[in-house]
Amino acid sequence: MWELGRFALRLGLCLSAYAILADLLGVWRNRQELLRSGRNSTIGTLLCLTVSAVALWVLLVRGDFAVSYVAEHSSRDLPLVYKLTALWAGASGSLLLWLWLQVGFVVLAFAVWARRRDRFCANARAATNLVAVFFFVVLIFDKDPFALSTVTPSDGAGLNPLLQHPAMALHPPTLFVGYAAFSIPFAWTLASLRRKDLSESELFFPAARNWSLLAWTFLTVGIALGAWWAYEELGWGGYWAWDPVENSSLMPWLTATALLHCARMYRAQTKIAVWFMILALGTFTLCIFGTFLTRYGLVSSVHAFPDPGLGILFFILVILLWVLAGVLSLNRLRQGAVLTPLRGRGFTFLIVNNWLLVLLAFVIFVGTLFPFFSRYFSDEPISLKSDYFTKITAPFGLALLLLIGVCPYLLRRGLVKSWRTLGAGAVAVAAAAIWWLAHSLALACLVICAFVGANLVADVVLRFQQRRPDARWLGARIVHLGVLLAFIGIAGSGGYDIEKDIALRQGQEVTVGSFGLRFDGLTTERGPNFTATSAKISVFKGQTKIDGLSPSRAFYESSRRETSEVDVRRTWAGDLYLALTQVDRGGRLINLTVHVKPLINWIWIGTILMVVGTALVIFAVLRKRPATAPIEELEA
Amino acid sequence: MRKGAIIKLLIGIIVIGGGIGYFMFQAMQSSWSYYYSVDEFSAADSAAREHSYRLAGRVKAGTIARDLENVTLSFTLAGSEAELPVQYQGVVPDNFTEDREVVVEGRLAASGVFQADTLMTKCESKYQAKVK
Repeated sequence: MWELGRFALRLGLCLSAYAILADLLGVWRNRQELLRSGRNSTIGTLLCLTVSAVALWVLLVRGDFAVSYVAEHSSRDLPLVYKLTALWAGASGSLLLWLWLQVGFVVLAFAVWARRRDRFCANARAATNLVAVFFFVVLIFDKDPFALSTVTPSDGAGLNPLLQHPAMALHPPTLFVGYAAFSIPFAWTLASLRRKDLSESELFFPAARNWSLLAWTFLTVGIALGAWWAYEELGWGGYWAWDPVENSSLMPWLTATALLHCARMYRAQTKIAVWFMILALGTFTLCIFGTFLTRYGLVSSVHAFPDPGLGILFFILVILLWVLAGVLSLNRLRQGAVLTPLRGRGFTFLIVNNWLLVLLAFVIFVGTLFPFFSRYFSDEPISLKSDYFTKITAPFGLALLLLIGVCPYLLRRGLVKSWRTLGAGAVAVAAAAIWWLAHSLALACLVICAFVGANLVADVVLRFQQRRPDARWLGARIVHLGVLLAFIGIAGSGGYDIEKDIALRQGQEVTVGSFGLRFDGLTTERGPNFTATSAKISVFKGQTKIDGLSPSRAFYESSRRETSEVDVRRTWAGDLYLALTQVDRGGRLINLTVHVKPLINWIWIGTILMVVGTALVIFAVLRKRPATAPIEELEA
Repeated sequence: MRKGAIIKLLIGIIVIGGGIGYFMFQAMQSSWSYYYSVDEFSAADSAAREHSYRLAGRVKAGTIARDLENVTLSFTLAGSEAELPVQYQGVVPDNFTEDREVVVEGRLAASGVFQADTLMTKCESKYQAKVK
């Protein structure tokens, strides 16, 4: 089976390399049969990847431990579902999954659903196949999922118990769907730059926009699942630690958010079109760069520059793509392409919004790579603690939040005197004062949230008074409401949390915040591949018992590891979060880490609203296929 | 471009760039943390030890001691030559074991014990699945 998988990868490399040549030559010489051949080899590449992915799945399920990937990520006692998800448990498998999805999307967008636009599609396919070739080379020569181990172990190491969680099973593929789908707007960009005739590029713009919407939705869900998993599984009571892995998914999300706003106001041959292209390219290359960064440990290692091996190919790829785009745009400029000036105040606000999002991504980028940069100006390597990110992203994040409130009004009326524009100014000053003088970032955020909430309500009321809002408008409002709720959750859980490490004897009681906790005893249970020890904790409010929680520690036999399984009392007002950190069986003594996290669930509710809202927007644009909206209708 | 537009652009760049630069500098200054291995840290002169440090090393086998009464974990952080006793209060990552590479953040107390306020385990290869 591994021979088949390996062979399919090598064949896929040849096919995608051939497809580039066939497509480019076909466009150059205008030869239909070459274009058809390029299209078919792209489909062939997809088949090869399907075969390798299925082969790897078969190996994982069968437990063929001669293959080191299987030995490292699967084991005999692993539940079937986690054997299947082990496909993306390691670097090589997840690269394979990403490439598989990406080629699949490209085939859908530029081969199946668009049979007639041969020349434009051929250029787009060539761009994505170039990326595919790099991925294939890394997969074959460096991160080979089918590599054999020198000794065949009798059982595999199993999936890291921390990763045996539904959120973690779904988190990587969700992100990869997002990353892979961003290849469509990216391919659209390169293909549009290549062709002088813009009619086909215009025709494909809705596709590029819809794929961006889809990609953004998946990226949002992926990031939220990762955060939720960290909160549920890691037991430190937080959901976001600003580590390079997390940042590398947040940066493309930010640029993609700007991309969607540009798509809303897109006009061909204007500044907005240029922004759209730069953001599409930026988002996709950030996805690739993030993978390079985290997979090859560029920033996580302490001292010596880690040898990235063939991972450096990702870095080369990113540079190559930008150079390519630069050359193509210069070429277009030489051919005399000029930008049409934009009319309408809406565009100014759009560009401010773009800059804020891009700069936010930039400061995160600098912070993430700081340990790496610091080698060049300091003898002592320096890293930034995570509060750097909180401090630096706060002003940008809060400014963006404020814009959510006032932008729809500014777009409709411009900068005129009203409670909304003056209010925004006042709230901005108040928030800055609260932050600097009272040192409470959370309170500053909540003040802005209250103002933005009032604005959202005012927008909806006004709109309903004027005319019935369409699904697209409503969808966008729901997304923004989701963002607002997430900010409320972040401020509440970040600014007003209580954390306590406590030691408890059986029968003993402690008070944390407004909760009383009593340790009632230990119980032991056996699961499918682990043994769990739980502590029974009674939760009191005043004198009345309101809940019973049982945080536990699970011991996994195959990997000989122990994980903490938290237990959480969830309410609209916040969570009471208990993690069992130590158990002394003889002394009936336990160590608990207790967190009181106000409002935290609004982050998850907000995320769900963002997804529902985007789904509504996608549904609306797919049903109507409208031309780009007239400027009066543009509201955020 | 007209002269007025250029001046406007320049002023814009200076104001915005300066603002961001200032913010970044402010934020960095307070979260600056020197990143050392245990060996280098022990070799450094004691005057430099007043800052907040981030140290990387290995958990020496047989030195992990847990004081459940005081919710404190202590262990010896070992480099290739030097060793340093560490005390930590807080959540211990699930994959913290003997011989694991770990990173601690904190300060050196007068007693010569490193008081850590964060404890992170370095990712083993399997942890790579945490793709984000």
